[in-house]
Amino acid sequence: MKPRATGTRRPRKTRFSVTFSEGASRALITVGGIGTIAAVALIFVFLLWVVVPLFTAPTVEAAERLSAGSLEAPRAVLIDEYQLLASTLDADGTLRTFDFASGEKIGERKPLEQRPSAVSLSPEGRDFAAGFEDGSVRIGRFGYRSYFPPEAELAPELRAIEDGVVVRYEDGVLQRVQDGALRFQGIDVELSDPLSMRKSTPIERIAHTARDDGMVLCVWTDGGLIFVETEERTNFLTGEVVLDLSETELAYEPDPSRGTPDYLLLVGRGDNVLLLWEDGRLERVDVRDPESASVVEVVDVVPADGEVVTALSFLIGKSTLVVGDSTGAVRSWFRIKPEAAGTPDGTVFVPAHRFGSTGSAVTALAPSPRSRLISVGREDGTVQIYQATTEALLVELEVGPDAIRALSMSPKEDGLCVLTAADEVMRWDMDPRHPEADLTALFAPVWYEGYEQPAHVWQSESGTDEFEPKLGFLPLIYGTLKATLYSMLFGAPLALFAALYTSEFLSRRLRTPIKSIIEMMASLPSVVLGFLAALVIAPVAQTVVPATLVSFVTLPLALLLGAYLWQLLPQRLSIRWSGWQRLCCMGLALPVGVLSALALGPWVEGLLFAGNIELWLDGQRGNGVGGWLILLLPLCALLWTLFGGRALGPWMRRRSANWSRHQCAVLDIAKFGVGIAASIGVALLVSSLLDGAGYDPRGSYVGTYVQRNALIVGFVMGFAIIPIIYTLAEDALSSVPEHLRLASLGAGATPWQTAVRVIVPTAMSGLFSAVMIGLGRAVGETMIVLMATGNTPVMDMNIFNGFRTLSANIAVELPEAVQNSTHYRALFLAALVLFAMTFTLNTLAELVRLRFRKRAVQL
Amino acid sequence: MSPVVETRSAPSAPAPRQRSRRRLTRRRTSLFAHGEPMVWLTGGALVIALAMIAGLLLLVLGQGGLTFWPKPLDRFVLEGGVALMGEVTSSEVLEDGGSRQLVRTGNYDLTQVHFTWVEDSNVLERSRPEWGLVLERQSWGRFYGEPRAFLIDGETVAEDPAQVWTRFEQFHPGTRERYEQRKALETHEIGRLNARIESARLAEKSAELDSGADSPQWQRAHERFVRVQEQNESEFDAIREEITQLNAENERYGLVLETADGTRTTLSLADVVRAYPANQLGFADKLGVYLSRWWEFLSDDPREANSEGGVFPAIFGTVVMTLLMSIVVVPFGVLAALYLREYAKQGTIVSMVRIAVNNLAGVPSIAFGVFGLGFFCYIIGASMDELLFEARLPNPTYGKGGLLWAALTLALLTLPVVIVATEEALSAVPNSMREGSYACGATKWQTIRRIVLPRAAPGIMTGMILAIARGAGEVAPLMLVGAVKLAPELPLDGNAPFLHPERSFMHLGFHIFDLGFQSQNSEAAKPMVYTTTLLLIGIVVSLNVLAVLVRGRLRRRFMTAHI
Repeated sequence: MKPRATGTRRPRKTRFSVTFSEGASRALITVGGIGTIAAVALIFVFLLWVVVPLFTAPTVEAAERLSAGSLEAPRAVLIDEYQLLASTLDADGTLRTFDFASGEKIGERKPLEQRPSAVSLSPEGRDFAAGFEDGSVRIGRFGYRSYFPPEAELAPELRAIEDGVVVRYEDGVLQRVQDGALRFQGIDVELSDPLSMRKSTPIERIAHTARDDGMVLCVWTDGGLIFVETEERTNFLTGEVVLDLSETELAYEPDPSRGTPDYLLLVGRGDNVLLLWEDGRLERVDVRDPESASVVEVVDVVPADGEVVTALSFLIGKSTLVVGDSTGAVRSWFRIKPEAAGTPDGTVFVPAHRFGSTGSAVTALAPSPRSRLISVGREDGTVQIYQATTEALLVELEVGPDAIRALSMSPKEDGLCVLTAADEVMRWDMDPRHPEADLTALFAPVWYEGYEQPAHVWQSESGTDEFEPKLGFLPLIYGTLKATLYSMLFGAPLALFAALYTSEFLSRRLRTPIKSIIEMMASLPSVVLGFLAALVIAPVAQTVVPATLVSFVTLPLALLLGAYLWQLLPQRLSIRWSGWQRLCCMGLALPVGVLSALALGPWVEGLLFAGNIELWLDGQRGNGVGGWLILLLPLCALLWTLFGGRALGPWMRRRSANWSRHQCAVLDIAKFGVGIAASIGVALLVSSLLDGAGYDPRGSYVGTYVQRNALIVGFVMGFAIIPIIYTLAEDALSSVPEHLRLASLGAGATPWQTAVRVIVPTAMSGLFSAVMIGLGRAVGETMIVLMATGNTPVMDMNIFNGFRTLSANIAVELPEAVQNSTHYRALFLAALVLFAMTFTLNTLAELVRLRFRKRAVQL
Repeated sequence: MSPVVETRSAPSAPAPRQRSRRRLTRRRTSLFAHGEPMVWLTGGALVIALAMIAGLLLLVLGQGGLTFWPKPLDRFVLEGGVALMGEVTSSEVLEDGGSRQLVRTGNYDLTQVHFTWVEDSNVLERSRPEWGLVLERQSWGRFYGEPRAFLIDGETVAEDPAQVWTRFEQFHPGTRERYEQRKALETHEIGRLNARIESARLAEKSAELDSGADSPQWQRAHERFVRVQEQNESEFDAIREEITQLNAENERYGLVLETADGTRTTLSLADVVRAYPANQLGFADKLGVYLSRWWEFLSDDPREANSEGGVFPAIFGTVVMTLLMSIVVVPFGVLAALYLREYAKQGTIVSMVRIAVNNLAGVPSIAFGVFGLGFFCYIIGASMDELLFEARLPNPTYGKGGLLWAALTLALLTLPVVIVATEEALSAVPNSMREGSYACGATKWQTIRRIVLPRAAPGIMTGMILAIARGAGEVAPLMLVGAVKLAPELPLDGNAPFLHPERSFMHLGFHIFDLGFQSQNSEAAKPMVYTTTLLLIGIVVSLNVLAVLVRGRLRRRFMTAHI
C-alpha cells in the first residue's frame, strides 16, 4: 500500500467491526421493530382468542356404556362429579351403583327398606322425600362422597395404582388423582327415621323443597292436601338431631271427578303447590300462608286435546317448570308479576319458552345442576340439550332405538348419563361451552325467569347459586352511546367553534399560549375530572337544576347580546379593539349569562316546573309544557336564525344599503329582540299544543332526577374531549393554505365570510376527522363515567338518569370475574367491541385526514 | 350573504352595465357581512373552554393548596346547652334565609361523628377559646380539646394550660422519635426476619417438590429452615424486648384534655402526630404547621383508611411504575420507529402499519387493561409461577396484578406515543444530512448513530416525557393490573432482590379514585383528594411543560442546523 500524503495508512477495506455493527444493528432494529409492532397487534389477537370460545359450538362425545341388568320401573339415573359411577333408582327404592370403568354393578341397596307409595326427587336428584302406605314420611339425600383414605391402611396392590386407573374398593372406586393422592368415590345415603304424620292414611303423592330453615313437604293423602314444615332440633343432652313436623291441612276442596292429581309439586321456596293432572290441568295453590291457602290459578299446560303430560322437571332454583307431553312439545313455565294480573296473589303462570318442534313423545327431562340447561329424552331414543332461556338447541344425540327412560347431567356439566328402556346406561363426555352467552343472549331481548316479557338485561352476578347470569350487551352499548352523545353535544360545538375563533380571529400573539394551554388539558388525568364530576359538580348541580337548564339559553343569549352591543361601537374602535379587548368583552358576557341564569332559575322553576323541578321531573306535579319548551326553544331559535338569514336577511340588506352603521346595528338589536320573543312565543305555543294533545315529555327524554346523571357526564366528558377535538380542528383550520385566505380577503370578503365560505369547507374533512377522534375518546373513556354515573345498566333516554358504559362495566366487574368463565369472556368481548369501535372510528378519521392533507397540499 | 350574490340578485336594474356596477358597489361593507354575532359565539366557545380550564385549576389549586392551612378553633354553645368545638369547614345558606355551618368536631372515638351541621339560629354563644388544641392523632382522626393536665408516670406535673403546653412541647419530640424507632423496628427489622424465614421455608418446599420429601436435599433445606427459625426466635425476642422498652418509655407521658362538653380524656403522647393551639398561632406558626403538613403528606404513610397522613407510598409506586414503564417503552418505541422510518421499505404496508400504530393511541385504555390482566397476569404470570415459584402455589406470585404487569401494560399503552414522536423527530432530520454522511463513506448504522439519532434525541425525549405524563395519569388499566388502595409493602425495599416487581402497589391516580369514590367517610377524605389531585396535576402539567420546552429546544436546534 502506498503511503498517503498525510502519512497515515488507511485500509481500503471496511473494518470488520463496522460491517458487524451494521449487520447487527440492522438485524436488531428489524427484529425489534417488527416484534414491537407484532406485540401491539397481539392485543387484538389475544382479545379475539379469549372471546372466540363464546361462540364455538358445544361438543359431545360418546364415552362408556354398560348394561344395568334388568331394572324394575327405574325412576332416575344419577352420575357423580368425576363421572366414575352411575346409580339407578327404582320405584321400589332400590339403589344400584355401577362403575363405568369395569361396567359392573358394584353395589345394590334398599335404603328405604319398604316400598314407598310416593317419592319426590329434587331436580338434580340430590335430596328427596318418600311417603309410605302407613302415612309416614322419610326425607333424606343421596350424595356421592369422596375422601382420601390413608394410604398406609390400604393393601399394597391398591397403593400401587397408577394415574388414571380406576379400581373397585369397598362399595366404591379408588383413583389416583393429579396431586398423587388416592381418592375414594362412593355413594352415600342420609335418611331420616320414619316420621309419622297425624293421619295414617296411605300417602299417594308427595312433594318437597328445601328452605333455609328446613325441608318443606306437601302431601296428598286421604283425598286432601297437607302442608308440612320440618324443623331440625338438637337435643342438648344427647346431641341427637330430631326432626319436628308441623302439619297444616290446606283448605283445598278437591274436585271428586278428577281424582288424585298425577303430579304434586312445590315451587321454589315452598310458596306455591302445583297439582297437575295428566291431561294438562294445572292448579296453583298459594301456600305462603298455609292457614288460608287457596287455588289462585288454573292453567292447561298441554294445549292439544287428548294429549298427556309425559315428563316434567324443575330447572335449578325450582321456579321454572318444564313440561314435556306426548306430542313431543317441551314448554317451560314460570310465574311473572304483571301489573294487571287478575289472580289473587298477583302473579301469573306463563308458558315462556318452547323448545324444538313437536316430535316423538318426551319420556325424560333432566335439568343441569348448575345452569339453565335442560336435557330432553324421547320415545324414539333421541336426546336433545337446550339452553332454557335462549331456547337454543345445543346438542342432539341419536342414542339408539330404545326409548329414553331417564337422564342426568353431571354436577360439573361435563357429562351426560342416559338410561334407556333396554336398561343400558350410557355416558357422554360433553362440553357445553358458553350457552348462556350466544349471540341471541348477548344482543337480542331474552325472556328471563320472572321477567314480564323478553328484555335486554345486564346483570352478571348475584349472591345465590341459582342466579342466572343475564348478559345482554344492549344496555351497556346504549349507555356508551348515551354518554358519547351527550358529551359530543356539549363538547364538539364548543371545541370546533373555539378552534375556528383561534385560527381565524385570534391574534398570533395570543394564539400560541391559548393553544398550548388547551392542548395541555388533553393530558389531564381523567380520574381528576371524574372526581370533580362526582363529588363537586354533581352535588352542586342538583341544587341548581333549573339554573343549569336556563344557562344553556342565557349563555348564548348573553354572548349574542354582547355582539349586538359591540356593533353599536364606532367602527374605528371596533377595529382597534378586535384583539384581546374583544376577547375580554366576550369573557364579560359569561358572568352575565351565568348570573342571569342563577337569577332566572327559581323564577323559571316556579313558572314552568311547578315550583320544584325534582318533583316535576318525577311526574308528581305540573304539566308537560316546561319540558317541551326546553326542548323546542333551541329548535325555534334555530328556525328563527334560518328564517332571519334566508328570508329576512336579503330584504334587510337591500333596505339598509344606504343606512349608517349605527342604524344597522340598532336594527340588528331590534331583530334580535324580536327573534327571542318570537322563538319563545312559538315554542310556548307548540308546547302548549303538544301538552294539550296529551304528550308529556316526562318519562322519556326527561324523568326522575338522579344525582349522578347523563347531564353531568355530558358536561364533564365534553370538557375532557374538548382539547383533543380543538387541537386537531385548529391544526386542520390553520393548515389551510394562506393564499386561499388572502385571496378571499383580497376579493373583499370579510374575515367571517372567509372563515365560513373558504376556510371551513376546505378544512371540512380535517374537522370531521377531529370530531371522529373525539368520538373515539368519548366512547372509551372510563374513569369519568365510572365515577360520575350511578353505573346502573338501564336503557333509559332520560338525561337525568344514570347508565353504565362498556368501559365502566369492565372496570367494575373484571376484577371479580373468574378466569375463563362466561362472564370473563363476555367482559373480554366488551373490551373487543370497544377496541374495534374506536379503532374503526380512528382509522376512518385518519384516512379522511390524510385525504384532506393531500388536498391541502395540492391547493 | 356575500356581495357577489347581491350583484346577481339585482338583475332588475335596467340601467346600462357600467352604471349598474357603480351603483351596486358599496363603499362600506355591510355590517351584516361581518357576522359579528357568530364571531362572538365562536369566541364565546373559546372563552367558555378557557373559563372551564381556569375554573378547574383554580378549584383544585385553591382547595388543595389551602387544605393544610390551620384553621381557627371555634366553640359553639347551642340551644339546649350542647357545646361543640371544632374547625368550621364550610357554610351554606338555607332555603329559609338562615345559614348553617359544617363543623369538623373530630373526637370520633368519643362521639362517633366527624362532622356536625350547626345552624346559626341555634347558636347561643360562639367563642374562640385561647387554649383550644388541635391534635392530629395516629388513629381516630383529630381531637379537639383544652389541655387540663400533663401526666408523667400517672402523676400530674402541670395543670395550667400554658405549663401543660410547655411540658408537651418538651416531651413530644422525644416520644415521637421513639414511636418512629418502634415503627422502623416493626417494619424493617421484623420484615427482614420474616423475609428470611419465608425464603428458608420456600427453599424447603421447593426441595420437597424437586427431589421429594425425605430426600437428602430436603433434609438439608429442612435443617436450615429449623436453624433459621431458631435464630429468628432469638432475634425476634431481642427486637420485641426493644419495642417493649420503647413503648414503656412512651407510656409514661400522658396529656389530659377536656372536650367542649366537659369530658376528660387522657391521650398518650406517642399517639399524637401533631398538636397546636389553633387560636394562638401567628402567621409564622401557621406557616410552620402548613409546611409540616405538606412534608408529612409527601413523605409519610397514609393513616385512617388513607384519609389522613401522607401519600408517600402512592408517589413512590407511581414513580417506580412509570420508571419501569419508560425503561421498557423507550427502547422498543425507538426501535420500532427506526425500523419504520429508516429500514422498512416505504410503501402501502408500512403506511398502513403507521396508521394502525397511530390509531392505537386512541384505543381506550381499559382495553389495554383487559389485555394486561388476561395476558400478562393470567397467562404469562401463571406460567411463571408454575415454572419458577412452584413452592408458593397456590398463592400467586406473578399470576396476579403487580408492578411489572402494570408497567408492561402501560408500556403497550404509551408505545404509540413514543413511536409517533420518534418518527416525527426522525423525519425532521433533513435528508441532506443523511446523504452527506453516506457520501463520506459512513454506513447506515453509523449515519443513524452519529447523525440521525443525536438530532432526533430531543424529539425522542419529548415522546418519552409525554408517555410518562400519560402513564402517570392513567388509572383505568391499573385498576385491573395491580394498583391497590393500600399496599402493605413498597415495591422497593432492603430485602433481596430489593426490587419486587410482583408486588401490588399504590398509585396517585388510583388513590384519588379510591378516596373520592370508595371512601367510607368521603367528607373527611375530601381534603386529601384535593391535595392528591393537586399533586397529580402538578406532576402531569410539569412533565408536559418540560416536553414543550424540550420541543422548543429541538425546533431551535433544527433552525440552526438548516443554516
